[in-house]
Amino acid sequence: MDKPFPTQEIGSLAKPAWRVKGYRGESLSEEEIAETVKWGRKFGIENLEELVKILTAKERTPADKKALLQWSAKFAIRFFEAAGLDVVFDGEQWRSEMYEHVIRNVEGFEFLGYVKSFDYRYFNKAACVNRPRYTKSFYVEEFTFTRENAKKMVKVPFTGPYTLVDWTFNEYYERKAGGKIKDFKKRKTAARRDFLCDLIKEVVRPEISRLTEAGAKWIQIDEPAATTNPSAEEMELFVEAFNETVRGFNCTFSLHNCYSNYRILAKYASQLRNCSQLALEFANRDSRQAGIDERVGYKELKFFEDYGFHGKYGLGVVDVHTDFIEPPELIRDRIIHALSIVKDSSRIYVSTDCGLRTRTWETSFAKLKNMVFGAELARKDLS
Amino acid sequence: MLGCYVTGIFPRPKELIETTRAYDRRRVGKEALEKAFKEATVKVIEAQTSAGLSYVSDGMLKWQDLLRPFTENLGGVKIGALARWFNNNTFYRKPIVLGEILRKKDITVEIANMDCLPRNVPWKAVLPAPYTLAKLSENNFYKSETELLLKYAEILKEEIRSLAERNFKYVQLSDPALVYNPFKEPISKDILADVNNALETAVKGVTVRVCLQTFFGDFTQILPEALDFPVDDFGIDLYETSLEKLEEYTFDKSVALGLIDARSSLLEDEKELSAVAKELIESVYPSKTCDVFICPNCDLEFLPWERAKEKIRIIAKVAKNLENELS
Repeated sequence: MDKPFPTQEIGSLAKPAWRVKGYRGESLSEEEIAETVKWGRKFGIENLEELVKILTAKERTPADKKALLQWSAKFAIRFFEAAGLDVVFDGEQWRSEMYEHVIRNVEGFEFLGYVKSFDYRYFNKAACVNRPRYTKSFYVEEFTFTRENAKKMVKVPFTGPYTLVDWTFNEYYERKAGGKIKDFKKRKTAARRDFLCDLIKEVVRPEISRLTEAGAKWIQIDEPAATTNPSAEEMELFVEAFNETVRGFNCTFSLHNCYSNYRILAKYASQLRNCSQLALEFANRDSRQAGIDERVGYKELKFFEDYGFHGKYGLGVVDVHTDFIEPPELIRDRIIHALSIVKDSSRIYVSTDCGLRTRTWETSFAKLKNMVFGAELARKDLS
Repeated sequence: MLGCYVTGIFPRPKELIETTRAYDRRRVGKEALEKAFKEATVKVIEAQTSAGLSYVSDGMLKWQDLLRPFTENLGGVKIGALARWFNNNTFYRKPIVLGEILRKKDITVEIANMDCLPRNVPWKAVLPAPYTLAKLSENNFYKSETELLLKYAEILKEEIRSLAERNFKYVQLSDPALVYNPFKEPISKDILADVNNALETAVKGVTVRVCLQTFFGDFTQILPEALDFPVDDFGIDLYETSLEKLEEYTFDKSVALGLIDARSSLLEDEKELSAVAKELIESVYPSKTCDVFICPNCDLEFLPWERAKEKIRIIAKVAKNLENELS
């Protein structure tokens, strides 16, 4: 990027009602159709009547459903571009969810049912029951469509292998290790490593290969589980997994991690090879007060510097878990404060903490617009 | 005696998950939610009695996390932000201690579904151990962690008494924080002495059988000091504990062997588990054998309900196999 503080989003954007209901084959109310048209006009999307025709039809064919994925991807791309971002994607509109989308498209997995995440929230957890087998691409079509429709630079979010393994029961490899290793703990550790290595070799690298062949220039590896197991063995395994994932590809890679233990991640970040950027969540940890001298949420940024990470930062300046619309001045203060730690303006990409999927489009749009303004204010401060 | 039981919060069966989600989205009311909890409780109790477990629990389906009934009901404690539950993809809400901790009512028995528990099998209850409660709390009031630990121990003593009065025969104190140690730092003798004191406060004079259940970490880290803890049984997570190191010790207390992996969906081979347990028992009890319980390594809540149910059957089968082999 030739200007300082380029702006980017991290991945997901909420799926609009018409995308969810339309894809399920449910009918939409007049208000929902009107809402769709309103956003479409706002973004200058052409041929909206074709979308309305699909949404008001009595039945939806598989071709209609495919078209709906494309329409919602187009809306999301325009959404980010209209907000003024420099780096965009399609808000992951083609994916059911970051974990399920991959697991459902790879052979060797079975969903076992819901387990508790917290309170009355649950997640659908799969088991690896066979050696993972890559039979079809799961991101390429989405990427190609996004690249063809985006005017800005495209970054592809890619659910990382360490997280996929951490969120999946490991039946196949544990069964395989059974009998060979007597100690249960050692057996599970060995099985986990085998699962991770196979997943990278059989699934993740082939998909990255297809993406780069299709023209992907920047892939963001999403690893929310990176510090779930903070022991040295596990953190080393995570680093090894990242390095093996990106090894040898002619492509820019970055890592996104959020709501994690940054003291631990910082310690290992400098060992990540070919990791041009760490996109991290800070706004959630920060106060809403103005000021550039003290910013409680950004103190952990210093750990990464102290441990010798030399790459760029995707600096989270927008909290995705609240409807509070950060004023541009607050965004600017966060950027200028971070600059006092990082020292080099070319190392800061201005970002949201994480994907915006839990916010409404109105809130997300207002937050992103302010983020773009805030980055502009920070640029003015520089000159 | 060779017994068997489960060791904590059960997974919610599918119908209950659906109702809790609907409740969360305000699609059903409190009454429907209560009804779903009750039906699911009957189901998880039935799974235990039909498998033939030695003690039965109500499944703790309402417990949002191991600390929550205390976080929500103790005076002086406020409910905090979500925090990761050890190294799991599961979260709990942090208790924030802001004032003198006060127990205003019976906490555990109030949410236990005692009318669903059977008359012909003894009942088991599970509580957080004082150390885990203190360690996972944010202390903004007491002068030291030790003071907080002892305060929690006093609260737990009252809880255990109220459980005993309601005819519970077995109380498990879950203590993952005591052994979870990802950075492999040595556990100080002072902490172990404090834990001993706290347990003394919590269980002195109680009439129920008490187990200190350790999990998510290696039990041998707290040996030999733990052998003096004033509890009847020790629960050991065999998926985190070095079997080799464990066999270096001999015990004169009972053990609950966490032989079934509640963090893996793979159904274990009963014969293999029986052989491992037999070797362990013969090693830690060279002359006199104490009671042994077969159990999961931690709460079953990490599994989907259907898989947990199958694991309960394995627990009972392994206990039966061992009983035959050792008699």
